[in-house]
Amino acid sequence: MYQNRSEGQTSDEAMLVQRAIGHDAEAFGRLYDMHIDRVYRHIYYRVGNETDAEDLTQQVFLKAWQAIDRYKKTASPFIAWLMTISHNLVVDFYRTKKDKAYLEAEVLANGSASSPEQATEASFEQQRLRRAILQLGGDEQQVVILRFMEGFEFAEIASLLKKKEGNVRVILHRALVKLRNILEKEEKQS
Amino acid sequence: MKKFEDILAQCIEDIKAGRSSIEDCLDRYPSMREQLEPLLRIALEIREPPDVKPSHSFKVRARVQLMDQIHGRQAVTKWPWFRYNSQVKPIPYRRRFSMVRVILAIVLTLSAIGGGTVYAAQASLPGDALYSLKLGTEQAGMMLPGDDAARAERALNFADKRVREMAALAERGRPQDLDLAVEKYDYALNMTLTRIEQASDKGLPTGNITALVAEATAGHLLVLDEVWDMVPDEAKAAIAHARNVSETGRENALATLAKDNPVRAAEMNLAAMEGRLYRVRVRAEHMEAVEYALQQFEAMAEFGEEISQIAHEVDKDVAMVEELIALATSEHVEELAEVWEMVSEQTRPDIERAMATLLIRYQKRVQALEQLGVEAPQPPVIPEGIRERVEERIREQERTQEQQMEGVPG
Repeated sequence: MYQNRSEGQTSDEAMLVQRAIGHDAEAFGRLYDMHIDRVYRHIYYRVGNETDAEDLTQQVFLKAWQAIDRYKKTASPFIAWLMTISHNLVVDFYRTKKDKAYLEAEVLANGSASSPEQATEASFEQQRLRRAILQLGGDEQQVVILRFMEGFEFAEIASLLKKKEGNVRVILHRALVKLRNILEKEEKQS
Repeated sequence: MKKFEDILAQCIEDIKAGRSSIEDCLDRYPSMREQLEPLLRIALEIREPPDVKPSHSFKVRARVQLMDQIHGRQAVTKWPWFRYNSQVKPIPYRRRFSMVRVILAIVLTLSAIGGGTVYAAQASLPGDALYSLKLGTEQAGMMLPGDDAARAERALNFADKRVREMAALAERGRPQDLDLAVEKYDYALNMTLTRIEQASDKGLPTGNITALVAEATAGHLLVLDEVWDMVPDEAKAAIAHARNVSETGRENALATLAKDNPVRAAEMNLAAMEGRLYRVRVRAEHMEAVEYALQQFEAMAEFGEEISQIAHEVDKDVAMVEELIALATSEHVEELAEVWEMVSEQTRPDIERAMATLLIRYQKRVQALEQLGVEAPQPPVIPEGIRERVEERIREQERTQEQQMEGVPG
């Protein structure tokens, strides 16, 4: 069943966020405890291996702490903000691979022992979709993942990406068309 | 007229919320059917990512490193509590092994609880319906006002409870629920250490609480021994993890304590070593248990060297620490000689190697004491027959060391 997983922040979390903004390390540590699993899962899905997922997850929280002053200027849930930082780091991570050979090798691989597909015995269709999603461009990939996998509302995604809601829908449309093309091409090749 | 992307988004929302089906949407917009249908089907195929979780060790390690970076410290392998400011008074020298009795009292109390009846009356266990409620109550307890040291003590209390739960689960033959208890133990101990770190960062005294952590975790190791013996093989990995967590917490507490009170840290470490020798004695017939306890014993002895080094660095009670370690080392050699008589022939080489290492350490302590102008304690008395074998082990270790030195380039 489809669930909206953003659901705003609980009052406890909102209080912790306020304290963290006031540079309370303990409060930030508790936010880390609350969200590390979800951030890690998100990153793991996108990089597909434990070592890079761990490294990037650590960076997400450090960057979040360093930029915590900026969070108060947005209206998105804290976890959504962490997802944006995650996205930017993953994009940078692939960018540093220069020729994208790394990405392609990972995306086109049929899976490895440490892949999320094998770990959870996801269906073949889900594997195909994951590979296709990882071939989308930055904004397109982010909108698809935030909306369909992380359950954020269009308004929240728009706030995060600093775009209008209408533009987010356009990006989503474009992303779905690209996904269809990628999947069709793959089917023809096989 | 609505734009295509708005219609697409609306259809996806309606279908996912169960308000309509794909056919309903396509019927609503017949002119767009061909364009809309494949995109809707793809969108509806996309699901949540697989539930992959980070390892617990990563979460703890990353949290510590994050806090290090937040506080502008160099990342270190040990828990970083600096600016330690103790108000603890050193334990008198003559009481140096009293901690052994305290620890043994803990384990005997826990071992005496038969059938888990006390635990059943006291509280729910992992896997029970009410357990999450219990954890929730504890979580609320962690939020109670108080200084960081008080909060650390509360968290330590919860870590104690988790160890008791592990014992109760093992007694009741419920190894499948141990993972959760171990995970929560790891968490509670980590919270304890984090609170201490925060107190330390604020310049508050942490001596009492670090000593409590060292004492409690040494006790946990003894209880975990009992649990280890009770659980089936498939549950041993969880207990091994709990042992590692416990030992890491113990070492870090002592490393901090040693900066302010090296004598007490050394005493507590020696007490924990006594706990390992106790384990060797009571499991003398079980080769694997003896080997493991000896490994832990030797790691603790190695850690004693670190405490000695800290005492030198902070230039505090150096002679007392050296004398204490030398005396205890000598006694430990004699105890191991007694154990040697109890174990099988197969296990004896391990005992001999441990004795050899201790004797080499003893000699170092004697040299250090001579430099300090302090009389060294009496050397250990080792029965004939064992002595020759241990001396041969010493020569083996020296040869190995020489070979290693020769192998080092440059």
